[in-house]
Amino acid sequence: MKKIILSTIIITALITFWVTKEMVNSHQNNYSIQEHESHSGHGDHEDHKENITEKVLFEFGAEVDIASSGILNKTIELPGEIQLDPDRLVHITPRFGGLVKEVYKQIGDKVNEGDLLAIIESNESLTVYELKSSINGIIIDMHFTKGETAQNSDNFFAIANLSKVWLNLSVYQKYLTQLKIGQTVNVLIKKDFPSISGEISFISPTIDEHTRTAIARVVLSNSYGWLRPGQFITGFVTISQSSCSIMIPKTAIETIKGLDVVFTKNEHGYEPINIKIGQQNSEFVEILSGLKIGQQYVKKGGFILKAQIAKSSFGGGHNH
Amino acid sequence: MGKLIQFILQNRLLILTISVLILGAGYTSYKQLPIDAFPDVSPNLVQVFTTTEGLAPEEVEKYVTYPVEVAMNGLPELAKIRSVSNFGLSVVNIYFKDGTDLYFARQLVNERIQEAREQIPEGFGEPEMGPISTGMGLILFYYLDDESGQYSLEELRSIQDWIVKFHLQTVPGVTEVLGIGGYEKQYQVNINPFSLLQYDITIQDVIEKIRNNNLNVGAQFIEKNSEEFIVRSVGLASGIEDIENIILKSESGTPVLLKEVANIEIGGAIRRGIQTYNGIGEVVSGMVVKLYGTNSSSVIGQVETKMDEINNILPKGIKIVPYYEQKTLVTACVKTVSNALLQGIILVVLILFIFMGSIRPSIVVAASIPFSVLFAMIGMNYFNISANLMSFGGLAIAIGMLVDGAIVVIENIEKVLKSSGHSKSKKQLISSAFLEVIKPVSFAIIIIIIVFLPLFTLQGVEGKTFRPLAYTIAIAMFGSLIYATIIAPVLSTFVLKIPKDLKLVKEIWLVKILNKFYTPIITHFVKNRTIAVSLAVFLILAGITIFPQLGSEFTPKLNEGSIVVRVSMAPSISLTESKKTTLAIEKRLMSIPEITSVVSRIGRGEVGAHADPVNSAEMYVILAEKGNWRPNLNQDGLESIIRETLDDVPGVLVNITQPIAMNVDELLEGIKAELAIKLFGDDLEILKAKADKISAVIREVPGADDVQVDQVSGTPQLLITINRQAIARYGINISDIQEIVHSSIGGEKVGEIFEGNRRFDITVRFEEKYRNSVEAISNIVVQSPRGINIPLSELVDIQEITGPRQITRENNQRFITIQCNVSDRDIGSFVEEGKSAIQEKVVLPPGYLLNWGGQFRLQQEANKRLAVVVPITLIIIFLLLFISFNSLKNSLLILLNIPLALVGGIVALWLTGQNLSVPSSVGFIALFGIALENGMVLLSYMNQLVKEGATKYEASIKGAQLRLRPVLMTALTTSLGLLPLLFASGAGSEVQRPLATVVVGGLFTSTILTLLVIPALFQWFSDEG
Repeated sequence: MKKIILSTIIITALITFWVTKEMVNSHQNNYSIQEHESHSGHGDHEDHKENITEKVLFEFGAEVDIASSGILNKTIELPGEIQLDPDRLVHITPRFGGLVKEVYKQIGDKVNEGDLLAIIESNESLTVYELKSSINGIIIDMHFTKGETAQNSDNFFAIANLSKVWLNLSVYQKYLTQLKIGQTVNVLIKKDFPSISGEISFISPTIDEHTRTAIARVVLSNSYGWLRPGQFITGFVTISQSSCSIMIPKTAIETIKGLDVVFTKNEHGYEPINIKIGQQNSEFVEILSGLKIGQQYVKKGGFILKAQIAKSSFGGGHNH
Repeated sequence: MGKLIQFILQNRLLILTISVLILGAGYTSYKQLPIDAFPDVSPNLVQVFTTTEGLAPEEVEKYVTYPVEVAMNGLPELAKIRSVSNFGLSVVNIYFKDGTDLYFARQLVNERIQEAREQIPEGFGEPEMGPISTGMGLILFYYLDDESGQYSLEELRSIQDWIVKFHLQTVPGVTEVLGIGGYEKQYQVNINPFSLLQYDITIQDVIEKIRNNNLNVGAQFIEKNSEEFIVRSVGLASGIEDIENIILKSESGTPVLLKEVANIEIGGAIRRGIQTYNGIGEVVSGMVVKLYGTNSSSVIGQVETKMDEINNILPKGIKIVPYYEQKTLVTACVKTVSNALLQGIILVVLILFIFMGSIRPSIVVAASIPFSVLFAMIGMNYFNISANLMSFGGLAIAIGMLVDGAIVVIENIEKVLKSSGHSKSKKQLISSAFLEVIKPVSFAIIIIIIVFLPLFTLQGVEGKTFRPLAYTIAIAMFGSLIYATIIAPVLSTFVLKIPKDLKLVKEIWLVKILNKFYTPIITHFVKNRTIAVSLAVFLILAGITIFPQLGSEFTPKLNEGSIVVRVSMAPSISLTESKKTTLAIEKRLMSIPEITSVVSRIGRGEVGAHADPVNSAEMYVILAEKGNWRPNLNQDGLESIIRETLDDVPGVLVNITQPIAMNVDELLEGIKAELAIKLFGDDLEILKAKADKISAVIREVPGADDVQVDQVSGTPQLLITINRQAIARYGINISDIQEIVHSSIGGEKVGEIFEGNRRFDITVRFEEKYRNSVEAISNIVVQSPRGINIPLSELVDIQEITGPRQITRENNQRFITIQCNVSDRDIGSFVEEGKSAIQEKVVLPPGYLLNWGGQFRLQQEANKRLAVVVPITLIIIFLLLFISFNSLKNSLLILLNIPLALVGGIVALWLTGQNLSVPSSVGFIALFGIALENGMVLLSYMNQLVKEGATKYEASIKGAQLRLRPVLMTALTTSLGLLPLLFASGAGSEVQRPLATVVVGGLFTSTILTLLVIPALFQWFSDEG
């Protein structure tokens, strides 16, 4: 009987202890199972880059295009000021001092060559003579009032022909090497209006001591009369124009591990290929190698493909 | 005991008065209890947020996080400081030891924040504490629905910030209302840098001029004819026109106005988060944060009333639409628990009536329930336990046990009254009947209370989840002890009657029938003890066989009834792209018919609740009424449909979670893996390189699984490095360049425009096309002191690099985590092997430190604690048994109940297909106590019979027969009280079901043991003879 008691005690103790221990241990295993579950849910995602269908790609905002050639313009923006063309500005002064008998024109009046401007009675000869315009233009300044005595140089009509004006662009040192005579310059006067263009005709050989900039001059035609001397204006200088065998928008370029890539279509789907970039402007880049002409590539929204490749690595450390 | 019962019966009025007072106090406490859905498992922490406009993680860490951390060091009760320095935001989490008063902690932090403020350079942000709230504090999310379609996102955001938020914040219990989405209205001065050049003005001039031309002053008063006139000089800009006409300079009398060089317009502030909905577009939204410790349901109720009021004053066509309400969850949980409670009470009372056979004793017994429950309310109030799923769940679990003590006492009193007739006075009879049973009853209840001790040692989330349950059960059981030992005898004297004619006393039919079956069986068992022994051994063996087949899992997740789809996108993603992706995903979700709408938050809004970067989107999925779902679809099914739907979304990680769980996880450490190796050190590059090496080494250790290194880098940066030689040539200071870079690219706040109550910032910045690319930035012109204009690119180097996405620190040191799981082997040996492998193969520079932690460490600690506490509890139980019986053998016989009860629990889990989990373990612990009660009552009666002269054989059979009714009653009330929890399907039932299953199963086998095996083995285990 003692044996039975003893064995009962032992069984009780053992079982109590064992079950308690197992219960306790079961907590420990819990975590691994939990973790496995959450992983198995996502673990099979890693090789998904080949599975992205075009439909999904478009759903998430990607656009594709065919690689083609193009002309790449590189422009820089420079601050400038409109100036009178000194060759088109005349100062008409009385040849002899005398009394101004009559004034026919006012500032702002348009005059043609030979138009009568004023009549002056010479002090010396006391005869009247006519002051006439020597060019077609507009009176931009005058110092003539009827009844006053006009002297040689004090009184004049300044007549400018504004059909052509100068645009003096201030060029910072770093652009000097890129600027050449003959490069095209565009200026925008108003939104939604064709820009006016001209060519660089002169680049100052010296640099201003105070502003540390050089002057590049463009002669602009001013047929609409919108360019007014003294006006500040921004010039867009096309510093180079090259035809590229392959030119694609910048939005197509993605960076993976520090290398530039473009996503192209092959039999597996879309995959990144390494490319070499040539020249570029703010919108387009020239592709030197990697992409072939006629190849289909992701023009925009390649980011999701890049993200898909990097997906396995950005799960951890979500917030904290 | 004899004196006690005398005192009780002599002071019946006093006892009754005290009981009524307790009931009253209990009811008042109940009314005051805060009602929550779940126990709050958030860690004890104070968060310090600092927004630093436009600063990269490195600078945030250096200038903001570090000073804040340093200031917080050495606070009393401090557990740990962790920090995250993100782009433009520093979050320092100051964890305090569990049990620290939150307000005390906040006060400490606040004092130190003052110190930190002095250390943070001016303009780098003001550290502020997060809302006085916890992970459960986000009680309501809403968005503004503009039916008219006339309002811009800026206008809607202004309505949110200046009408909705203002009013909601006045609701008591609301600590914060945080807005997100739309655009915060700003008066933006967008400068054309070419115009600046041409008028020879710098951006600093513009900033200064705007600041100097926008202010009001007071100039005291003047006296005029014995009256005082207050003098005000008013010069505040009141709108765009006023700003436009600010004079920058005057050139020979001609003023240059601000509008000549800049375009002034109303626009949106820079944002790090947006809110979208239904795949349609952006929306303006807000979240209501509840004050810590307030009553969720009443705060929510008041917020709703307020929202109705606000809806009336909002411009026509705009309305507040709540899209997440914790109320639904609170209601659901309250419903689950109250249903379980109610059904439990009904079942228990039914059993009482059937077994007692008459109303009077049943009433006395049943009264134990309200008394104990209300007594528990007083305790909950005292211990600051809110009414929630777990605490009230505890009551639901205990409901059947609450009557046990009273059953045994009253049953015996009734029996004595019926059998003794009028030979003695009623009081005398009651007192002697009471004395017969009171010792085992009170010891049994005390044991039940004691077995819940180990639960109080649970730490962390499990601790916070199950401690309220342990508290309420223990307190309610204590109440039932008071009831059974003090109040029940008093009530018996009033309610119970001595039958007039003993001959008329009929035995209750059910007990009669049961005894008819039971008597032959028990006689057989007592005669053939080997059958009893083999039955016990068989049961135990069955348990041993089944046990390994049980699966195990973590605490089953509390089902909140809401789904949040959390989407992580690439770390370098822009807000625009992230919005596009989110909208596309929303569209997909909307194609699921059960989903009525989806509201997503991308990134973060007003600081205080979330610190997510813009690559993270949280989508709140609003579901149709369950009735309109496809047949046979449940929430799990729906979640897998969502997973399938989003399976081929490129470049994102999808995680399905629930609102509260998500918030709490964020506040907790966030490492879910078993093993987390933290590498501490200074240099981010070295940290990254060494971590990669360590992960490679760990991968080679057998058993390593899912090895992952924290992704710490991946955010592209445009790094502007100033060329000191170049600036020296022109005589420019570094700060001049920094200022220009800061204000022209990032923008600078230069003042405010007041529109009544509302105030809006005026910001100065370059027009977008002059700052949005490397070329544009290199062309920004800097003016030297001598007036020379130089493009930025001649003075600085501009590089595109990849920088850290965030810098995490713990206890003042940077660290990086290598996480991994261990499969098919013991973690302890894995850690040893890993440690030596790393020591061998990885050379760490001086100052670099490895720390092995993770869940395994927490588990080890918990296991260690339980390994000490559970045996101690068993020893205490044994001691109590020994005190009660004064016999080693008797005590052992009772202890035999424990393994048999465990077997029942195991089998029940196995039959119902459930796993071992934290709640089922809690059930096993509860069984330790519950299983002993019946055995004690039975055994003590048999001992008494032997004392009175019966043989052991007679005592075994007679005792068993006479105690059949109370034993069955207590077992049935306890298990039927739990029955509603077994079949409940409402919110939160999944946590209590395993617990209830284990208890019911265990009770079943232990009752068999009590009724069949104990009488059979009584002869062996009896002391006499």
